[in-house]
Amino acid sequence: MDAETYRQDALTAVERAESATELDDARVRYLGRKSELKQALREVRDRETGMALNAAREAIEEALTTRQAELERAELDRALTEDVVDVTLPGDELPLGSLHPITQVRRIVEDAFLGLGYEVRDDREVETVEYNFDKLAFAPTHPSRSHRDTFFFDDTHVLRTETSPSQIHALEEREPPIYMVSLGRVYRRDAITATRYPIFHQFEGLAVDKGLTLADLKGTLLHVMRALYGPERRVRFRTHFFPFTEPSIEPDVSCGICGGVGCRTCKWSGWIEMGGAGMVDPLVFENVGLDPEEWTGFAFGCGLERAAQLRHDIPDIRVLWEGDLRALRQF
Amino acid sequence: MRVPISWLRDYVPIEMPLDDLATRLSVSSAEVEGIERRGVPDSDGNLGRFLVGRVLEAVKHPNADRLQLCRVDVGDEEPLQIVCGAWNFGPGATVAVALAGALLPGGLELERRKVRGELSNGMILAEDEVDLGPDHTGIMVLDDSWEPGTPLADVLPIVDDVLHVEATGNRPDLLSIYGLAREVAAIYDLELAPPPGVEPEQVGDEPVDVEVEDPIGCPRYIGRLFCDVQIGPSPLWLKARLVAAGMRPISNVVDATNYAMLALGNPLHAFDFATLRGGRIVVRRASPGEKLRTLDGVVRDLTPDDLMIADAVRSVALAGIMGGEETEIGESTTEVLLEAANFEPFTIFRSSERLRLRTEGSNRWEKGVDPYLAAPAATLATQLIVELAGARWVGHTDVQGELPERAVIRYRPEHADRLIGVETPAEEQYELLDRLGFDVEDGRVVTPTWRARDVTREVDVIEEVARFRLEDVPFTLPERSAMFGSLTRGQQLRRRVEDALVGLGFVETYTPSLLPGEETTWKLEEPISVELTALRTRLLPSLVDAARRNAEVGERGIALFEIARVYLEGGELPEERLHVAGIVEGGFSRVKGVVATLYAALKTDMEVERAEDPLLHPGKAARTPAGVFGELHPSVLEGTWSAFELDLEELFQESHEPVIYEDVITYPPVKQDLAFAVDDDVPAGALVAAAREAVGPELHEIVPFDVYHGEQVGPGRKSIAFRVEFRSPERTLTDEEAAGLRQKIVDALRERFGAELRA
Repeated sequence: MDAETYRQDALTAVERAESATELDDARVRYLGRKSELKQALREVRDRETGMALNAAREAIEEALTTRQAELERAELDRALTEDVVDVTLPGDELPLGSLHPITQVRRIVEDAFLGLGYEVRDDREVETVEYNFDKLAFAPTHPSRSHRDTFFFDDTHVLRTETSPSQIHALEEREPPIYMVSLGRVYRRDAITATRYPIFHQFEGLAVDKGLTLADLKGTLLHVMRALYGPERRVRFRTHFFPFTEPSIEPDVSCGICGGVGCRTCKWSGWIEMGGAGMVDPLVFENVGLDPEEWTGFAFGCGLERAAQLRHDIPDIRVLWEGDLRALRQF
Repeated sequence: MRVPISWLRDYVPIEMPLDDLATRLSVSSAEVEGIERRGVPDSDGNLGRFLVGRVLEAVKHPNADRLQLCRVDVGDEEPLQIVCGAWNFGPGATVAVALAGALLPGGLELERRKVRGELSNGMILAEDEVDLGPDHTGIMVLDDSWEPGTPLADVLPIVDDVLHVEATGNRPDLLSIYGLAREVAAIYDLELAPPPGVEPEQVGDEPVDVEVEDPIGCPRYIGRLFCDVQIGPSPLWLKARLVAAGMRPISNVVDATNYAMLALGNPLHAFDFATLRGGRIVVRRASPGEKLRTLDGVVRDLTPDDLMIADAVRSVALAGIMGGEETEIGESTTEVLLEAANFEPFTIFRSSERLRLRTEGSNRWEKGVDPYLAAPAATLATQLIVELAGARWVGHTDVQGELPERAVIRYRPEHADRLIGVETPAEEQYELLDRLGFDVEDGRVVTPTWRARDVTREVDVIEEVARFRLEDVPFTLPERSAMFGSLTRGQQLRRRVEDALVGLGFVETYTPSLLPGEETTWKLEEPISVELTALRTRLLPSLVDAARRNAEVGERGIALFEIARVYLEGGELPEERLHVAGIVEGGFSRVKGVVATLYAALKTDMEVERAEDPLLHPGKAARTPAGVFGELHPSVLEGTWSAFELDLEELFQESHEPVIYEDVITYPPVKQDLAFAVDDDVPAGALVAAAREAVGPELHEIVPFDVYHGEQVGPGRKSIAFRVEFRSPERTLTDEEAAGLRQKIVDALRERFGAELRA
């Protein structure tokens, strides 16, 4: 036999095998015990013929292996193509909870202030009249001192009406410079409505250092408002009055619904009230034994509910307090 | 405070757009919460349909006894025929006419129509029909000097804008139209008119007997006596102003006092002099047990804290808050005693607070009204009483203690620049202060009397400048010399707890810190509802309620958690602890898994023992040093639920965070499974503890993974299987060594618990 012709025939047969069976047939025919090649090998006499036949055998074996891999691969592909799932069906139901919207804004505020190099704290909710009012320089006639506006336990103990007592605690705890933000629950004697809840959350900031200005307050609040509401927001100040700041202002943030041209959310003003702020009143410094000629400071307080409502467009504050999973699972 | 622009315009020219005025007032003076357009709609030429008319003829309607048929000259060639239901006028009267097609404030559009067969081409107006006053007993009769055809809007404020201004507590001067005019003048650099009121001539010298027993509570009392007073309705312009400002017109004398209060900010009161016993006024504290029936008809129980206006015998008014009913001005009053006084804020605040009685008067007094304001207020009211009630002013007294001197304040304009963060030239600062009524010298300013309480220090003066520069203040950040920006360990771990629970499928909720009247010392004096009366001592009851509500609306897979304070018995103040609590559908093993994962997340070892808790199943309740967990008691909530409540501080104390690395790779452990049969009441935890004690640190891990009851172990016994790993940090353990360690466990458990090794 001619080894070369045999090889050619065998390779063609292997190439043409379209299934494992056909490939097996080719294997038996060209390499099997009764194949011409095997017979020729048994009968070979000279070295040259032997080498030629062995080379043909090796080539055929290699072709068989390659073709077998190809066929297996094709078979797998065919099988997998038929193994189809409906990818639009839901997957396994794994439980995932959610953080309350107030926690989410609390973290945003905390992170914004951490970025500015502030410490984060919280203080007690049951306060003495001394810390809630007196040391913050509330006049004896200030309406917040009224039992109509504030929850009293007795004549000297109240549920804090704002996070501002934290200012006094921070100032009493250590020497300035102080940069802190305090977050927690506060309480006012309001009836429960869509816009008011007698329990709510505030964040209170205090910076005490040398040479602080109203402009520093403005820049700080701009940073925080943008962290909460996005980089497009603008901030403006309006004059106001608080016992423990002088000058006192109220910061407004530009309305995100209308972009500042006026809509229902901002009561057609283009601006949304964010809370209260101002430069620390010299009286507060004197109340904690600091020299107001040496130190300056600014302070601010804002509501977390309001921030959460604005971020998520929640029209009714009660949603934040009712624990209704249909609402909370959305966040 | 409602500020009608037409009134404001008396004192300062208002030519700027109103929204600009509102914005600039809001930024620099007091918040303008809204601009209300009131009166006749002025769109589509509607105002042109309101004209002055002169009645040429008025006869009884031929077909109706109660109607008049009028011919009214409204400036056109042909007079109009109008049917009218009022009878308080006749031919020659000058009246206000709305033509057919006119739109009235209430939204009614007039039509030309037949009334009982006679054509009516419009309406002769009563004051209530154009929002000028409450009266509907007759039509408005105008001054005859007005020509027929004159636009009515030139004669009466039938259309007006009203600013709703919310002044802050330090600015009682802005609770007056004139005070706001002063701000407007300062903001826009406009001419401010002198304060309203021209003192009429006093035409008698009757004594006015005023005694002030309490000069602290009442630093000033101006009393003025009037006779021949004719009580009647106020003229239209005055009624219109009061109505626009939100006050109800009552009678000329009472309206005069209210007008002066709104114009200048000093509340006044008028007594029927004839009812004052002994014809005198005594300002004193109430006697114990004294009572007074106030104008609102309520009998008030008084205490010696209350400052009273009394006559020779009894109290006749609650000073600064409300007058008494018995000395009220009535239709028959002919002699009036006018009070223009000054009262000390705290006295008024305390009484108003105790009596739960807040009035226009008390609201101003408690903020501190300028004692120098009493005189101009008296002047304005006097002028009005004389002009409107035909009264003769016959007596005057002004009892005053020492009125406060105006504060002289050292002022450094460069100091203002430093605090505000933007430069304002010194001369500009002084000019601004001058416009606000400060007396200004270089380096020194003198506070105007109406700001005496609020502006006493340099920083207060700086605020006066700052509030006009707020829009120019740039955005900067502090130049820092120290930084503190990191969360404390507790704050970091709290976030980890929150995140771990969210990962475990829990939804965070917030519930009120106050509960219905719980047995706790921290109860509110005056709660707003029974639901919120006392501070809670644990969170779980609130979460149970929340879970129940969710179950009731058909929620499935409920898992809630909350992190909040509880308020425990403390010393002077309660001990406030931060707790985490959760509730989840499912039994004990569910919550145990949750708590264990939480502990693992915090890198904390968990030691558990049986516990009792009123909310939990008595056989399925457990405790760790930080709190409790277990299956809910079935009477607490229907279905199978479990819950936990842990003290965060306790929890964090045990945390191994940051974890110290242990090399468990170089010398791999020997792993075995062991099962022991023990009596049913032996807890798995006790076996684990005993095994650890017996082997020591080479027992790397021992975890129970199966509990079996059945015939093979016999009644009252159970089999517990443990996955065990022995490991040495120094070498790979040989089989013999591992067998020795295993034997230690077997021996210890047999000895202490009678445990038999089963496999």
